Amino acid sequence: MELMKSSDNIIQDRTQQQHKQEPEMQAQEGQQEQGHHFHVLAVDDSVIDRKLLEKLLKVSSYQVTCVDSGDKALEYLGLLNNLDSDSTASSSSPSSSSSSSSSSSNSSSCSQSSQREGLKVNLIMTDFCMPGMSGYDLLKRLKGSSWKDVPVVVMSSENVPSRISIRCLEGGAEEFMLKPLQLSDLEKIEAYLLKSLHLSCTNIDKDDDDNNADHNSDNNNDKVVNNDSNIDKGNNSTSMNNNFSKRKALSSEDTESRRPKIKGLAVAI
Amino acid sequence: MERNPMRRQLASMRKSLFDQGYLDEQFMELEQLLDDANPNFVEEVVTLYYRDSARLILNLDRALERRPLDFSKLDGLMHQFKGSSSSIGAKKVKAESTLFREYCKSGNAEGCMRTFQQLKKEYATLRKKLETYFQLARQIGPMESANRPK
Repeated sequence: MELMKSSDNIIQDRTQQQHKQEPEMQAQEGQQEQGHHFHVLAVDDSVIDRKLLEKLLKVSSYQVTCVDSGDKALEYLGLLNNLDSDSTASSSSPSSSSSSSSSSSNSSSCSQSSQREGLKVNLIMTDFCMPGMSGYDLLKRLKGSSWKDVPVVVMSSENVPSRISIRCLEGGAEEFMLKPLQLSDLEKIEAYLLKSLHLSCTNIDKDDDDNNADHNSDNNNDKVVNNDSNIDKGNNSTSMNNNFSKRKALSSEDTESRRPKIKGLAVAI
Repeated sequence: MERNPMRRQLASMRKSLFDQGYLDEQFMELEQLLDDANPNFVEEVVTLYYRDSARLILNLDRALERRPLDFSKLDGLMHQFKGSSSSIGAKKVKAESTLFREYCKSGNAEGCMRTFQQLKKEYATLRKKLETYFQLARQIGPMESANRPK
């Protein structure tokens, strides 16, 4: 299995790496179907907030990947090679397996295969105010990409003017949340993650179907469901506003409603 | 047990940090995240906060030496400081940073400088108290320091 490399298929290289993890991933998939071990990509330039968010998510049994900028997020998702002016796209060495940009030199795959093979991301949480690419910029990039069906939550450390938060919601964000996040906020996130079970966030290159027979089976089903998700988007915008107003109401109310509920925490008294 | 008076002392220290307004409920949120795997989580976050704050204070000091003051840059730096202070529940530091940002917005140089001095004081006081607190907590032992009277 590990020797199945086609000559210039960089994606195959990465797929080999994924294959090594395959039993794990299949286990995770099974768990995902039961609503456990969702994978969240967290984007925040603050090291403290990253640590906090990572802990919150892990305590809630989610898998977490943290990056410190929008650019790193796009890179992680394999979207950076979409840039016309991307200087790293010049790398054409087939043996380079670490550069995500080199897949752009692969002409055999369809142009949509800019995402990492087999990478599952169920939710993206991004800070709004970041140097360089803002959370809003990242949101727009994501919604214009093959990752558009992944729910995105935007966070901010202060009460931003409603025109900004509404802009994010209209830009496709599920919700706009106030930092610092608390355990009680994670429950809302779970709702989006459960929704994402029906909207596939896994992008598998069609060329790899042979290699990924088992792995692909439910992914293919998910892809079919994907087509319906565009219709759902219309409904989402109303629910988005509802979520937003709920959140606003919550934050202006007494903090008792934000009392944390501890999941899976060992608290010895 | 020898630990009981220490535990009482720890609890009393903790209570006064809240009562005197150095910490707010966000600190309790951090404590909620303590578990067997990471019994020192709060201390780890706070240590990160010291490091991050040191960097920000240095940059703010430098920016405040420039003439004319770049209020936008100052505001940006303080936005970060406010954010991290808020995330660990550093109530007084957060209040000073909010005030600082208001002076930035109104272009009040003197207000900025005065507030920054005050902020540094508050930060230093908080840091000292927290260092003492965690030192005692470590003496008592990780499991027990995770048991906070609520």
